[in-house]
Amino acid sequence: MSLRLRLLAFIGVSLTLLWGVVAMWMFMDIRGELRAALDDRLAASARMVAGLVSQLPPSAAPVQGQRLPLLDMVARDGLACEVSLLRGEVVVRTMAQTAGSPGLADTASGYGTYVFGGKPWRTYVLVQDGIRIAMADRLDVRETLLRDIALSAGLPFAVALVFSMVLLWFDIGRGLAPIERIRMALAQRSLDDEKPLPGIEVPAELTPLMATIHHLLERVRGVIARERRFTDDAAHELRTPLTAIKTHLQVARLAVARPQAGEVLAQALSSADQGVLRLQGTLDQLLLLARLHGQPEQVPTDHAEAGAAARQAMDDVRAAHETAGRLVFQQLQPGRVFELTLPGALLVCALRNLLDNALRYSPATTPVILRIEYPGNGRACFSVLDEGPGLTATEREQAPRRFWRRAAGAQQGSGLGLSIVSAIAERHGCELRLLARETRGLEARLLVPMRER
Amino acid sequence: MHVLLVEDDHLVAGGIVAGLRLHGLTVDHVASARLAQSALATSQFDICVLDLGLPDQDGIVLLTHWRAQGEEIPVILLTARDAVAHRIKGLLAGADDYMLKPFDLDELVARLHALLRRASGRTVDRIEHGGLSFTASSGEATLHGAPVDLTRRERALLRALLQRPQQILSADQLRDSVYGFETEVESNAVNVHVHHLRRKLGADVVETVRGIGYRLGKLAAGPGQ
Repeated sequence: MSLRLRLLAFIGVSLTLLWGVVAMWMFMDIRGELRAALDDRLAASARMVAGLVSQLPPSAAPVQGQRLPLLDMVARDGLACEVSLLRGEVVVRTMAQTAGSPGLADTASGYGTYVFGGKPWRTYVLVQDGIRIAMADRLDVRETLLRDIALSAGLPFAVALVFSMVLLWFDIGRGLAPIERIRMALAQRSLDDEKPLPGIEVPAELTPLMATIHHLLERVRGVIARERRFTDDAAHELRTPLTAIKTHLQVARLAVARPQAGEVLAQALSSADQGVLRLQGTLDQLLLLARLHGQPEQVPTDHAEAGAAARQAMDDVRAAHETAGRLVFQQLQPGRVFELTLPGALLVCALRNLLDNALRYSPATTPVILRIEYPGNGRACFSVLDEGPGLTATEREQAPRRFWRRAAGAQQGSGLGLSIVSAIAERHGCELRLLARETRGLEARLLVPMRER
Repeated sequence: MHVLLVEDDHLVAGGIVAGLRLHGLTVDHVASARLAQSALATSQFDICVLDLGLPDQDGIVLLTHWRAQGEEIPVILLTARDAVAHRIKGLLAGADDYMLKPFDLDELVARLHALLRRASGRTVDRIEHGGLSFTASSGEATLHGAPVDLTRRERALLRALLQRPQQILSADQLRDSVYGFETEVESNAVNVHVHHLRRKLGADVVETVRGIGYRLGKLAAGPGQ
């Protein structure tokens, strides 16, 4: 249901109910007043007739069946009247009556309501000086009068109500115009629109909504920019080894066609092989990262044991690196066995990436240390320490970004290692810290929540 | 043709260098903007293949700098990045062409020749000079319609001379064009190649400008003159 219709329904129903109650109240009030006024008229007419009759000379006193002109006057107002002679309490003789009188001889004195000839009548009987004067008027005539009054007062009310609905419809539309403007501005935007939303004049109530929309757009822009940078970087990382493979294969093809190019051919094929390995490495890391990002956070079903995971990671790294002989393993408090709240495979993967980085970016003659400590705050601390050139504070901050690489130096890494460690840490309540060592080199510290077994 | 390759990825650079050499071009490779700068300052290059993602400086910044300095060397950009904006920025910064990685080696060579041809004001691949006809891309030469068998170095030397017909080129410049930065080159290597060219194409093909260097000589148009 549109907001406009809903507002109209709410306000319309409320208005109708409110005015309906007021109208009902007024109607009841008017009906009471009208009855009282008409009753008063009956009594006043009776008194007037009594006054006139008492002033008549005895010779002019009405006799049976005689018409009194003054009664015709009363009858013109729609009233019925009977003038009778009394003896004691009993009507002796009806002296005069109006033409349409239904016969009021049996009515009690004072006010009363009777049905004569199937029609309800309101009566008033006045007894004065032995003369009984009965006045009556028809109740259904009174009701018709009341209905006429109600109708003539109610019709303008109904028309006003309808008009106010129409006005409401347009006014609500005008009131909602800023929302429509916002909608149009949003609808006209393309997904990669870099410009901020144009300034739209909105009432105070909509300012927070506008602020929220601006904020949301800002965030969406940020996400899009990040994703675009990522795909751009990914394209670069995947295309570079692919270029190497393709170029070297073309060189090999050229070399085959030439005499004495055996050495060039062998070199080209070996380089193409290297390219394939690099492409494979980058793809594996990318897929791992994608899997990590795609997984919801979950409670691990298997728990890593610190020492075993460290040894496994070192074995893996030894298989891949020629200079892995410089790995040093230090386990402080080796007697205790802790269970970590992190799946073993992921811990091994994280440590392997940290060790791989350390081996790759430090001189081949310097040691790389993997140290496990239990600082006692419910977390195990894995430190990988190298004696390479280290990173500056800014670089340490940027390093976990996907495809980040130090600007200088001839590295062959995928630029995804720290992103992977960081993604694992994020998903399993761990923490990755990069610190500068006191003397030289980098310390990568992975803090993993644990409990003692 | 003496090509300067600026590419930070050694695996890719190795392939391009080997490929261009197999196509008979003289290639020197540097891996950073700083080295590219000094290579260009110290040696004579005909064309530059520039990768955009360099470790010490963005390739576009380097190119802008070159153009601001009045360096007119034709430049072909290599980029692995998807965004069209990169390529547009590169072309606006003064690049003559670009190629998206992974590219075809043969196409790169063809584009290099085309760029060089355009840079020296020619519209066709074939250079005619007197009775000599030289195909720049393949290095094939005919004299008065008869094919002449030239070695790779001789072709490089002839190409260098034909590309700057009015210019006097020093022995050092010619040596760079033929050998690139190879260090173990005999000091009289250029003399030897000039000698061979004269023997194969006629004594007038190369003119010696005493004390300065060499220049393309005047060749008779018809046979036997």
